[in-house]
Amino acid sequence: MPQLLISALSYLGYILIFPGFLFCFLVGLLLAGIDRKLVARMQKRVGPPILQPFYDFFKLMGKETIVPAAASRTTFLLAPLVGLAALVVLQLFIPIFSFSAFSGVADVIVILYLLLIPALAIILGGAASGSPYAGVGLSREMVTVIACELPLVLVLLAVGRAVGTATGSGICFSMTQIVQYQIENGSLITRASMIPAALAMLLVIPGETGSHPFDAAEAETEICEGMLAEYSGAPLGVYKLSHAIKLLTMSSLFTALFLGGIGTGVIVLDALILFAVCLVVTVVMISLLHAVTARLKIEQIFKYYWTVVSGLALISLVLAWYGF
Amino acid sequence: MNWLNILSYRHFPIYAIMVLFLGAFLIVLFGRNRWARHILAFLSVASSLAFLIALVRPVMLGGEIIAYWMGGRVPAGGYAIGIALEVDALSLFFGLLIATAVFVACLYSFRYMEHDDNIPQYYTLFLMLAGGVLGLVLSGDLFNMFIMVEILTFAAVALTAFRNTANGALEAAFKYLVVGSIGSSCILAGTILLYAQVHTLNFAQLSALIPGGLNNATKVAFALLFVGFCTKAFLVPFHPLAADAHGAAPASISVLISGVLTKSGLYGIIRLVYFLFQSMGLGTIQFMLVFVGSVSMFVCVTMALAQHDFKRLLAFHSISQIGYVLSAAGLATALGISAGLYHAMNHTLFKGLLFLTAGAVLHKTGTTDLGKLGGLSKKMPHTTVLFLIGAASISGIPPFNGFASKWMIYQATYQKAVESGNIGFLLVTIIALITSVLTLASFVKVTQSVFFGRLPAAYENVTEVPFGMRFAMGIFAALCVVTGLFPDYVTRWLTEPAARAVFSVGQYINDMMGAGYAESVMGGLAPAQQTVSFVHVGVWSPVSWLLVLCIMLLAVTLAAVLGKYDRVSENAGEKVPGKYDLFFGGEESVYSQVGGGDLFWGFKHNWRHYFRFMYDLHSGVVNDYALWAVVALSLAVVFLQIVL
Repeated sequence: MPQLLISALSYLGYILIFPGFLFCFLVGLLLAGIDRKLVARMQKRVGPPILQPFYDFFKLMGKETIVPAAASRTTFLLAPLVGLAALVVLQLFIPIFSFSAFSGVADVIVILYLLLIPALAIILGGAASGSPYAGVGLSREMVTVIACELPLVLVLLAVGRAVGTATGSGICFSMTQIVQYQIENGSLITRASMIPAALAMLLVIPGETGSHPFDAAEAETEICEGMLAEYSGAPLGVYKLSHAIKLLTMSSLFTALFLGGIGTGVIVLDALILFAVCLVVTVVMISLLHAVTARLKIEQIFKYYWTVVSGLALISLVLAWYGF
Repeated sequence: MNWLNILSYRHFPIYAIMVLFLGAFLIVLFGRNRWARHILAFLSVASSLAFLIALVRPVMLGGEIIAYWMGGRVPAGGYAIGIALEVDALSLFFGLLIATAVFVACLYSFRYMEHDDNIPQYYTLFLMLAGGVLGLVLSGDLFNMFIMVEILTFAAVALTAFRNTANGALEAAFKYLVVGSIGSSCILAGTILLYAQVHTLNFAQLSALIPGGLNNATKVAFALLFVGFCTKAFLVPFHPLAADAHGAAPASISVLISGVLTKSGLYGIIRLVYFLFQSMGLGTIQFMLVFVGSVSMFVCVTMALAQHDFKRLLAFHSISQIGYVLSAAGLATALGISAGLYHAMNHTLFKGLLFLTAGAVLHKTGTTDLGKLGGLSKKMPHTTVLFLIGAASISGIPPFNGFASKWMIYQATYQKAVESGNIGFLLVTIIALITSVLTLASFVKVTQSVFFGRLPAAYENVTEVPFGMRFAMGIFAALCVVTGLFPDYVTRWLTEPAARAVFSVGQYINDMMGAGYAESVMGGLAPAQQTVSFVHVGVWSPVSWLLVLCIMLLAVTLAAVLGKYDRVSENAGEKVPGKYDLFFGGEESVYSQVGGGDLFWGFKHNWRHYFRFMYDLHSGVVNDYALWAVVALSLAVVFLQIVL
């Protein structure tokens, strides 16, 4: 009985503290803060303090939440929470090098689908607000999701094939095995055939997180943040938090798929390494891109992902298929 | 006590069919009275379902094959002359799907059809259709199958035009009649050719005789039967019929057409390919099935994206999902067939649910035009939730059932690609994954333009549909959730026995025709009992995921509520100018909800040439569609002559 209690408590710890809610909360908002500061510095502005996202979050939690008369109240208020919960749960299934909180629950295909849930939550929330700006925003968000889906599918299949060929099973969809293979044989990014896929995955990250130049769905200057146009107060804060956590989730997915071999086996060190990698990914793929590019139109985003990025991923998939 | 024999489960298959036809005839006699008609209809469909459920234990779990010879005319001298019903796990699987969908559709009809004229005729045709499809899947010979095809086609045509005052109903029925008759004629011609070659119509005997005596005539018969069953399943190039038929038919009939009729076509294809011709080993036949499946999957989902009518959109999705089923079932691997059947079951459940919600919207607003609807979630909250469950299921959002089966389909296709070294199957995996996200997009469109967004003034007084209709939808929704959460039980009790049946043709022949028949007739060709394995490469345990999600959701909600998340201010009558209005440019003309048709402009713009091509192709002229049928038939004949 005490054993059961201890394991239940440890799982609760995974869910709520590390690598669950608290970890995501702190690291996600920290990454968002560093991103904001760096973009400002790159654009020769002073920028907000690094802890600004924390201040913003707590400020928003204390503000009045206005539900528009045209909105469907329950969906409007519930959607942000579901999106946040689904995102943090997704983080639990991505192994941090050799450590995985829940192994044997979800494989890469499941993760592909679980990634849709936060996007879907924000789309439903926006739709429920009844705003015309949200209508435009959700249309663009959905097209962005479709745009990112093809390269992401190709990347996951390529990785699955590469690991599967090497381990002799032909295919491998299990996240744990993919990471385990990298721990034993070195990271996948060191294989020439996987470099295009890694690049494609890196390019998917700004699309999935909706940052410049792929932020047509939010487009503050044009459609007033689209789906968030009617949100205020705590639900808006939850969305901002989800957005920050998505930076962490996408970067750690990249880490697990391509850099799985650089872990040390010591959990505290691994967490720090993960944070460092996420930081580098955020700085390069989010901040730098944000600072130097302008927003693309939605049909350009779609075209870019389905040609250039998918092409990169496809090269890897074909190479992996023929055993390179 | 000899008379007690009639209670033996071996008689249940014929009872299950009989009660439906009996109900149809009794309603003609006594259907004037509302209660008599409802009770008769309910008793027929409920007892039919009960008879089939009672067969689960012996057939699914016990692996028994029930051979039921009408009037005790068992095969003599190696020839099966009598009329036979056969129930193996595959037949029973489809039978259960059909009976469940019929049961729920019947419950829904009670309130849904109450304002129509000629209601007794409706129930008569309804039960004829149900009995026809059930008879088809339980039938043990090709000719009875053809008779059932005729019954169900004509019942379906009549029901499509049941609301014949509605716009396009007669046109849809006419198109269906023309192309459906071409399909039926193909099946009849194929049956005749086979009979001329091997002098029998019994499935088991055909299965024993055809593989050894394959010649040009039997190949043509294969092509004819294949195309015939494709028309019944509305696979490409017969998909435009489905859109018209669903658009015009009452919602409860759409459930039958999509959930039940298409299954009869699928069942026919599986029977034809895996039993009669035992061509599971042939790469070219696999190619044909997977090709038709993948094309249906992709073409229909893009067609759905271009629709602006709720029910037509659902109709195209229906075919798209059937494409998944055929692609998976055509792989000829145990996992593929099991996954395909799982998806077939899920298709019946979620598609039924979605058609019923579309019917609920039509019932209350009188339209299914996505451009005219909007904001119904405030007026019909229960229907909205039920719709969202259905939409999440069909789009494969975990943990609903669509995901469980699609996930197996991806694995099956990828596994097949690895085993056969054929990169083409990998393409199917990719198409399937992309189709899935396009499905999601199109349901986002429906959600936005029907249930959310701005409520048109005309629908201010819309109310929730009656409890009877919500209850019927609730059954489907509950089944969607249950079959999604417990995939292990579904595969163990339903799909794996059915997939195993596909791989035990030898046992099937012997159980029907007498022990040793297969070996004596087929000699070395006799199919040996194969070992069947259902190995998954991935892992997915929905219950653990849901548990973690619930804990997380609870924690997040708790934290949010403590953080004054629920300190919501709503318009309580006080006059704060503009505070609770939506933010937009200010002028009424600026408030333009993006119409359903334009919602995914960014996607459509890049695919504009494709959509233009598709638009030109789907002329809506029945002559064109009949021509497509002829072309498809010619292609199938030529293809099979070359490769088989």
